[in-house]
Amino acid sequence: MDDDYYSLQSILADNHKLSCTFTLDVPGLGYLEGSTEPDIHQNSKVEIPFWLAQTLSLNEFTTFPLPPAYSNRVRAALNASAPSVKLSHLVGGGGCWYRWGRRIAEVLDDQPQADLLNMLLNAFLARLPPLQDLSAHIASADHSIPEGDAGSGESFREGMEGDERDLFSVGQDSARITKAWYDSNGRKAGGR
Amino acid sequence: MALPKSLVATLTPDELTFLAEEDRVQIVPLFSMTRVRLLSGIYGPFQPPSATTVPLWLALSLKKKRKCRIVPPEWMSADRLQALLKDEKENAEGFEPLPRRFIETSKVLLDLASDDLYSPTMLRSLLKDLREVRQAKIRLGLQSEGVMRGSYLQVTNLTPLELSELKPFLVKAMGMMQSLEPRGDEEEGQGNDGALGGYTQQSI
Repeated sequence: MDDDYYSLQSILADNHKLSCTFTLDVPGLGYLEGSTEPDIHQNSKVEIPFWLAQTLSLNEFTTFPLPPAYSNRVRAALNASAPSVKLSHLVGGGGCWYRWGRRIAEVLDDQPQADLLNMLLNAFLARLPPLQDLSAHIASADHSIPEGDAGSGESFREGMEGDERDLFSVGQDSARITKAWYDSNGRKAGGR
Repeated sequence: MALPKSLVATLTPDELTFLAEEDRVQIVPLFSMTRVRLLSGIYGPFQPPSATTVPLWLALSLKKKRKCRIVPPEWMSADRLQALLKDEKENAEGFEPLPRRFIETSKVLLDLASDDLYSPTMLRSLLKDLREVRQAKIRLGLQSEGVMRGSYLQVTNLTPLELSELKPFLVKAMGMMQSLEPRGDEEEGQGNDGALGGYTQQSI
């Protein structure tokens, strides 16, 4: 996962909305709240994009609880069976659960940061084998569901978040290229 | 880079086959000719009953014109492949060493020169079995502890072709794991870097 300045995935990940609580009155920013009032009052909750929330939180103008996508409930579900959690539902279609989590972790203190990163890492590790299976086998001619219980492949595919989708298509591409090579009849070899 | 994504990460099987065609094989020519000087070297003389050594691409080209018989490499026999398959099955830990261009060469020979091979159908099914056993091991390896701790995958003795299939996925997955590594393990993270670099340098 590159944090390149031009990486579209990173930009999208920074755009997820975070529910923040302001620790002070801010005059003139009421429109952020979507209300008609001109000012933001202390303790009011506002949904702001992460790139803004990050700066505000580092300066302690706002505080935020861990978003629901990384809550204890999700953590428990991941511990129970990581592959069956639908990460894409947690952050919206095409969302970047891992990237966003990592960006949030950068703002946190040592202990919660390590906890969050460990959760992300363990989730990724637990989901890697089914992801690999799926990407390697979906390219084969039969479109039946890969080994494992019926239907699990399809529902796993639905639950993939942005970077997992990328990884999936990378694996799928190389499986397809290799399969095409094995199936080719070698007429190219040795010139005419 | 301006290359298509599929070409950036690794060599394609077609490119690897092209490289494999530089390997030398023995042929028995069906025509007589003195030495011939080509850009890549001097080949011949071609004197019908005696064998001569040429690159695979030249052998295949002559074969297509029915001007030679290719002498298959010594490992391209049912006995050798059966023994190899047996060893591969017994060796649960790692992979059996194969000739570098094993898969490419065997496929090209089966495709274009199957009449020079002894029992090609048998060879074909043995090669398929061998591939399946090795693929199953790779799959197990991907779920092994080494990968789980984000550090390495055992790829000793995999041929470049097998690596090329694995590499794009694995490198990206390892990259993601590394970026999710908690900051406290800074040193360990650098260790991983080395392992990954080592993997990437596994020459194709």
